[in-house]
Amino acid sequence: MRRIPAQFENSMPPGVHRVVDLEQLALEWTPHLFFLVQADSDEGGEVVRKLRTRGLHNICWSPGKAFEVGDIVIRDTRTGDGVVLFRESDVHHSLLLTNRCNSYCLMCSQPPTKHNDSWLVQQTLDVIRHIRRSPVTIGFSGGEPLLLGPDLRRVLDAISTQHPTSRVEVLTNGRLLSDPRVAEVVLQGCLASSIRWLVPLYGHADFVHDFVVQSPGAFEQTLAGLLTLQARKQFIQLRIVLIEPVLQILPKLCGFIGRNLPFVHEVALMACEPIGFALANRGQCEVDLSDWGATLCDAGKVLDRHSVPYLFMNAPLCALPRQLWPRAHKSISDWKNTFPSECDRCVVKPQCSGLFSWHERGWKPTKIRAIEEVSL
Amino acid sequence: MSYAPVPLPFEVRRLPDGSLLAVAESGDHAFLTDDELSLLRHEPASLPLERQAELRALFLLGSAQGNIGTRQLLTSRQAAKRETVQGGPALHIIVPTLQCAHSCRYCQVSRALDDAGHTISLRDLEAACDTVFESPASALTVEFQGGDPLLRFDLVQHAIRRIANHNKSERRRVRFVVASTLHQLDEEMCALFKEYNVFLSTSIDGPAWLHNRNRPTPSRDSHQRTTVGIDLARRCVGAQSVAALMTTTRQSLGHADEIVDEYVRLGFKDIFLRPLSLYGFAKRNHSVLDYTRDDFGQFYLRGLERVLHWNRQGVAIREVYASIVLNKILSTFDSGYVDLQSPTGAGSSVLVYNYDGYVYPSDEARMLVESGDESLRLGRIGQPLKELLSSRLQRDLINASLTHRTPGCDHCAYNKFCAPNPIDSQAQFGTLCAPVLLTDHCRRHMWFFDTFFVLLRKADNELLDLFYRWATPTAFENL
Repeated sequence: MRRIPAQFENSMPPGVHRVVDLEQLALEWTPHLFFLVQADSDEGGEVVRKLRTRGLHNICWSPGKAFEVGDIVIRDTRTGDGVVLFRESDVHHSLLLTNRCNSYCLMCSQPPTKHNDSWLVQQTLDVIRHIRRSPVTIGFSGGEPLLLGPDLRRVLDAISTQHPTSRVEVLTNGRLLSDPRVAEVVLQGCLASSIRWLVPLYGHADFVHDFVVQSPGAFEQTLAGLLTLQARKQFIQLRIVLIEPVLQILPKLCGFIGRNLPFVHEVALMACEPIGFALANRGQCEVDLSDWGATLCDAGKVLDRHSVPYLFMNAPLCALPRQLWPRAHKSISDWKNTFPSECDRCVVKPQCSGLFSWHERGWKPTKIRAIEEVSL
Repeated sequence: MSYAPVPLPFEVRRLPDGSLLAVAESGDHAFLTDDELSLLRHEPASLPLERQAELRALFLLGSAQGNIGTRQLLTSRQAAKRETVQGGPALHIIVPTLQCAHSCRYCQVSRALDDAGHTISLRDLEAACDTVFESPASALTVEFQGGDPLLRFDLVQHAIRRIANHNKSERRRVRFVVASTLHQLDEEMCALFKEYNVFLSTSIDGPAWLHNRNRPTPSRDSHQRTTVGIDLARRCVGAQSVAALMTTTRQSLGHADEIVDEYVRLGFKDIFLRPLSLYGFAKRNHSVLDYTRDDFGQFYLRGLERVLHWNRQGVAIREVYASIVLNKILSTFDSGYVDLQSPTGAGSSVLVYNYDGYVYPSDEARMLVESGDESLRLGRIGQPLKELLSSRLQRDLINASLTHRTPGCDHCAYNKFCAPNPIDSQAQFGTLCAPVLLTDHCRRHMWFFDTFFVLLRKADNELLDLFYRWATPTAFENL
């Protein structure tokens, strides 16, 4: 999510607002939502105050042009910054449901916290209400969303009633779906939206996966969860983050998936985000992907043999053998995406995922190397 | 939570090349050294961790408890292997007539053209068409066998129309197949076949000289007339509307390359290098036609090598027996090849409505009748499907095909892939449950599985890619 220095009226209530132009206010205003009217001039502010005294209690003013119209924002009361929770022009939309997690992955980019953050559910429901144009895809992440149980289902139902055309992605370790009670609460009846479950798998054997996620029993639970999703005919994308202990066994893991989980719709092979626990576990997590080209090709071959589709995410093209380029996706969310200066000379830059903007503090997924010529 | 490894149930076999093969309950396999086998059985914790992980991923090792996911996974893997037999009869073979213009030396059943007695009655034909829909299977294949069904095109046409009409309300996926020499094929027939997406299955035994020797007609031009029919069908019905089967006779043995090349020349995507079955006339002409399993094995390997040669040249042609065996070994999903199902697919997934008014559990079963064995009748055409499938014979067939209850199969390394074939046993020994180890069916398939495991062990990446492609289900549903 983006943090943006911005000014707000002091009287702005906490909670979710939709950014709107003064000119558009008449068109968009409804009594059930909160609006942040963005206006450059003091006259604009005056108009907002006047309207408010005459009964439009749910509007307030932000001087300047910090936001885009349609942004769903909150004000961080601690720093005074604006936080953009949803931006219409983004390709990737993701809403954080909780920071709590039942796994403790070596490379977690969003290290879990223990404190009660159930207010995030209400915030998410508010964001969903405030979105003005239904996005093509909207993702929910954590932490572990299944920890919310019935509240996760409330969020999914809110999307399907208010944004029925949006495709939903839930990033979950699937472990709690091994519990039939949780599965029933979350999946019961008909899920109206088309949901894609994004579930990580890091090993072909329990102790391999459990080591990576630092949680005994996780492998067995995730497998049971995947079978629960399959029984309900859900769309599953398996996610494999390419850190060293996983790369060591990657072709074997792909064979395990091909034989045992051929019902998954695709496998995403993802370069590690150099942030969070990955920085603390740098020895396990930092790899130069171009050193693992043969392994990646072998893994792809195994998945091909079992007719399991796969794609690469977060991996710049110069990190991958050329035969795998057609599988590479531009997957890094807009607000955390960057290209170093070497890339300016690269002829495939427009097709490339680029890097996470925080690679400077961590590492790059490979030695960045401009591709100057592509022979077809 | 403990990661202490526990060996799971598995079967072991020493392959002809001396290596050891272990096959798990899931159907997954591993090649082991003698030392590894001993450690796996007695001290799995002493195996290197990397190897332990591999063996866990293959269901050869597991944990004593806390296996909530892998236990379910194993159950679903085992279910996937049996899915095809449990959907109700999907293949319905109708034999309108035994008449045929050929007098093949190995043919079990066919009768001369002037022999009008061996033709189905209209009442039985219509009853058969209606029984098809009593099966709960959502996908139905209706195959016309003979004789040569095109000699009674009127009956074939009547049946296809009746079934297609009935299906307007049933809305099943129905596929029609006609097995024929194609000598009688004409444009009127093609028009009907195109209208109903009928698939044609014909016979090509090899190049003209060999084919004509195996399949004599008075005019000695069987091969030419069949290829004319193939061309006509491809032109008028569809480019992929014809497949061919071959039968291996003693004359074929030294000519594997020529036979494969003929299939390539004729543009077929599949070749099925089949040994001669022992039924009917073939059994009587044993001395003329017979060859040993070794003879066939050599012929098969030579032919397979030639098929692989063509694939290396970029010609995609698949050997069907290899596909069947590789599907069993490499694929999670079973293709449902009837002869290797436990419980047997005879009856449960295949029914034959014969010209004589009786229903049989397989194509081979109705052939036995022609040599006097009437014991394999499930009942009369027109009896409800439920009655046919709860007949004494059907129960006996099932009981005689359960690998876990059959001595010889119960601890066989291949019992996840293979099964006794009671009808073969009946043909060879006159009983449904002769000791499996003595049956031709068992010996042949032990050889096939041994052969392909040895090939897999040595296979390079390119060959593995091809074998996995061949192993994909539905690869031979047309045959």
